[in-house]
Amino acid sequence: ISRNTMPGTSLEGIHPTYIYKVVLLGSTSVGKSSLAYRYVKNDFKESLPTVGCSFFTQTLNLEAATIKFEIWDTAGQEKYHSVCHLYYRGAHAALLVYDITNKETLNRAKLWLRDLEKEFLPDEIVIGLVGNKTDLAAEREVATEEGKEFARTKGLLFMETSAKSNHQVNDIFMAIAQELLQREREKTSIPSPHGWSTVNLGESGVRTRCC
Amino acid sequence: GYLPANMDRRESTLKRKRKEYFAFVEQYYDSRNDENHQDTYRQIHIDIPRMSPEVLRLQPKVTEIFERILFIWAIRHPASGYVQGINDLVTPFFVVFVCEYIEEEEVENFDVSSLPEEVLQNIEADSYWCMSKLLDGIQDNYTFAQPGIQKKVKMLEELVSRIDEQVHRHLDQHEVKYLQFAFRWMNNLLMREVPLRCTIRLWDTYQSEPEGFSHFHLYVCAAFLVRWRKEILEEKDFQELLIFLQNLPTVHWGNEEISVLLAEAYRLKFAFADAPNHYKK
Repeated sequence: ISRNTMPGTSLEGIHPTYIYKVVLLGSTSVGKSSLAYRYVKNDFKESLPTVGCSFFTQTLNLEAATIKFEIWDTAGQEKYHSVCHLYYRGAHAALLVYDITNKETLNRAKLWLRDLEKEFLPDEIVIGLVGNKTDLAAEREVATEEGKEFARTKGLLFMETSAKSNHQVNDIFMAIAQELLQREREKTSIPSPHGWSTVNLGESGVRTRCC
Repeated sequence: GYLPANMDRRESTLKRKRKEYFAFVEQYYDSRNDENHQDTYRQIHIDIPRMSPEVLRLQPKVTEIFERILFIWAIRHPASGYVQGINDLVTPFFVVFVCEYIEEEEVENFDVSSLPEEVLQNIEADSYWCMSKLLDGIQDNYTFAQPGIQKKVKMLEELVSRIDEQVHRHLDQHEVKYLQFAFRWMNNLLMREVPLRCTIRLWDTYQSEPEGFSHFHLYVCAAFLVRWRKEILEEKDFQELLIFLQNLPTVHWGNEEISVLLAEAYRLKFAFADAPNHYKK
């Protein structure tokens, strides 16, 4: 992850900038684009089915660091599955989105998880499970506990959201950010041979992209 | 289109095709809730209310027609089936046929259900066959793993590297991949990139070109990308570049812009016509 570090505002890199790639995965019409749109534009609109992948950015100024999220919003239809791995390659975080009013979409999210587990080691990626559309509580098919329990057994972050009524959308991205920073700290606290405990600024700005 | 060149045979062909379409509807449409077709139907049913423009999707009569057209097509083309994006492809034909019965200005707020039932049926059948004809030429765009699209994006990349090396290098330098923006250009034939009136103008030319929707479309895409060379070269950042390329400012485009684009595409086509291997490395 440290290769995504950019020069900080001070010489010591006390306030570094990190670029993190977050990919939104899940069944068709669960609200992936709406979550991205709510988070980035703080608004809600009916969106066209995503084709290929839509790209958004959002910058978070936190005390410890500045985080630039690159959000990759993918198409949900299974037919597109074959091109999707092109988009999640190299991701730092993934949000697996399901629709709480449609049980089948949680099963699909579990399949996505299996795909990710094939591609990434557990410490390579932060994964959040997101039950969207809490505004449609009357039509709920998936109990909160069920999502929460599944997330717990798999070690995923978990939150229920509503892109429409703006419920916990910021929170899930914030949780992802905090977890990524935490991992960054754990990494850098391991002393390097020179006794340095900061990220390697020599590699700053270098980025690799695979898709 | 799909009509014979001989004018005398057109009327009878049109009649026969319309009859044929409604025979398909009769034969297949009831199976939409069968176990092996319900996924297809459900997906179409979810997508139709999400189509543009709004004026069409809000009319139950229209969504009903679109659902039938798409379902019948998907059932009759099992190799690809229904793929998101195909739903967009009906709209230009439908709007053109509807416009025969109304003034162009009216199309923004026109109630389709006010047309006589027979007229609507003809529009439905004609839209189906036009869309089918279009898709016949690009079916490998929508089969498993979408090889047609992958191949065309690759070809676009090679073409652009020949015609504007500076733009090509700039994208490459900032690690922007063509697939990240041009996938949609191929999948939806630029429909998502320009306003509907421009799509109709563009496709009018595609229809009169041999292999318009597959081959000529590539030259149009290349011209379209290079059209933004100034803006592209000014962006020095991956994120800004990709956001720009996914949201090109064409809202105010009309016939004039499309004519310029097509002229440039023709120029490219002829420049490469004698040397088809030019865009292959």
